Amino acid sequence: MRPADNTNELIKKLQLKASADLDKRVHDDISRALAESQKTASVGTRPNIWRTIMRSPITKLAAVAVIIVACVIGLSLWRTTGSGIALADVLARVEQVKAFRCKSSATINPGKPDGVEFRGSSVFSQEYGSKHTLEARAPNGGWEPVGERYFYPQKKMFVQIGHPIKTYFRWEVDDAEAQEQQESLSQYIDPGKLLKDIMACKYETLGRSIINGVEVEGFRTTDPNCRSSFSRSLIKDPQAEHDVKIWVDVKTRLPVKCEDFASGLDEMENPGIIQCITTDFEWDVPVTAAEFEPPGVPDGYAVVNARPEPSDEEAAIQGLRQCVALFGKYLESIGDGTEATEIIFLAIEKSEAPAVLRLKEKVKELMEDKKLDRVRRAGWPLRRLIWFYVRLMQDKKDPAYYGKTVTPKDADKVLLRWKLSENKYRVIFGDLRAETVSPGKLAELEKALQKW
Amino acid sequence: MLEDKLLIWKFNRGNRDVLRAIYEKYKDDLVTLAAALLTDISSAEDVVHDVFVSFIESTEKFRLTGSLKGYLATCVANNARNRNKARRRHHKIALDNADPAGADSNSPEFSALFGEQLRQLARALGQLPYEQREALLLHSYSGMKFKAIARQQGVSINTAQGRYRYALDKLRSILDGEARK
Repeated sequence: MRPADNTNELIKKLQLKASADLDKRVHDDISRALAESQKTASVGTRPNIWRTIMRSPITKLAAVAVIIVACVIGLSLWRTTGSGIALADVLARVEQVKAFRCKSSATINPGKPDGVEFRGSSVFSQEYGSKHTLEARAPNGGWEPVGERYFYPQKKMFVQIGHPIKTYFRWEVDDAEAQEQQESLSQYIDPGKLLKDIMACKYETLGRSIINGVEVEGFRTTDPNCRSSFSRSLIKDPQAEHDVKIWVDVKTRLPVKCEDFASGLDEMENPGIIQCITTDFEWDVPVTAAEFEPPGVPDGYAVVNARPEPSDEEAAIQGLRQCVALFGKYLESIGDGTEATEIIFLAIEKSEAPAVLRLKEKVKELMEDKKLDRVRRAGWPLRRLIWFYVRLMQDKKDPAYYGKTVTPKDADKVLLRWKLSENKYRVIFGDLRAETVSPGKLAELEKALQKW
Repeated sequence: MLEDKLLIWKFNRGNRDVLRAIYEKYKDDLVTLAAALLTDISSAEDVVHDVFVSFIESTEKFRLTGSLKGYLATCVANNARNRNKARRRHHKIALDNADPAGADSNSPEFSALFGEQLRQLARALGQLPYEQREALLLHSYSGMKFKAIARQQGVSINTAQGRYRYALDKLRSILDGEARK
């Protein structure tokens, strides 16, 4: 035995191996638990992603934003469904509308124990902007406020209030962004956009029906291109089923009800059902500027002044730059379906690059609950890169990423590319220079990549 | 331990597959800790099995925070302590005496598993009062802070530190004695 002053070191050397019998026992138990949880999932008690998100204070604000925006999905959906003459009439009528109100509801896994239910109301004005409020079903069966979102084109400002996290989020937009938002707001009366959407969708007529005593005509599409952004954000399954309906008042030629149903697997590969309904439209309602005034900061709410950071080409380049700064090379993969957080954490965990080691050293001293936040902050540009790539995939922009083989020194190698139009591709090279090229040139560049 | 952060993050999102990764990562350390606490291999494996069964069953009931390794070590220590108490009751041994399980550390199986080099240490550990052995192993082997050990043992930090120091001194004394033989 070594001298006793080495006792502590000796204790650290104690090492037994778990037996094969223990391995089997534990793995069998885990398998049983997995089988049971899958069985339970069929009756809907597995945690769904949105319940998880709403439990997390970190993600609540983002969730509130998505859900509030989702309140208006019906309004954009009806642009993309419908039939020739009837919808042309609808379009003509809506073009004249200056302001309207509507109510929306969104239910995830309706009727199941893990179901999450939201409801919201919206008012739009060409002149004053928009206002949305959102509530969630409370455990006691009542409704509790989740958030509010305001856009003021004249003040070029957004305000978003997250009630569960007591945060008052406010950011200003520049002229271009304000214009973009305003155009986005009035897109539903853009005849060109409408016609394009109709031509891109296969639809059928549902004939006539009565909704709340109003005679309506229905149109239906199961074309996945007509998916709402809300169901798109939740149901990741390419095999998911979609069913979008719009009901139009046969007298006024204005929408009465929009329905969006999607069924498939969510990002955790749990089966999920999303049902969104927009109804109670009030067209051409009188509105006043006062109704759209920014609300004050509620007592006890933290104020966050910020600008939303877009996930665009510039963000992608910043993210790639951050890869090099942290890891000394590019991430090997950014779009294989793995979540951004997971990609970044794994990359940081595996890396022994000096910057990563410094980061690890810094977080070591932090309190447990601060460590994740610190790593998240360091990885923020990477998240925007990953989100950008995911959006390119979602928008079917034919993206490709070659971080596995291309290094920062490969100035002429294609690192990331995506389609701009039929005749143009955007390419970010290994040295982070960006260029627009023809499909032929891209093929040439990528051929060289294969040889290399 | 960012990998642990990722495991915890996945666990808290209801991903049960992550339990396999957690088990594979910590099984040997946990079996070693339990064996050193109880000086009994088969009981040690039962402890780790029990801990993981509870862990599996609790995936939807709580959220993990803090250190994953520390959490599992605490679970093992709690379970081992309960077993130790039960065993003591069974053998009607006074609490202040050395743990009777220490005798098991002389067994050929225990020696063979730990290796000859560590056999004496394992036997010496078995001669320590249980609470002292626990404080020593949780600090020296599992890397837990005294604050956490104190909370786990339900005593003050000073007491936990005291137990650790007594354990270390006694262990040194036993090992020195063995070395002189």
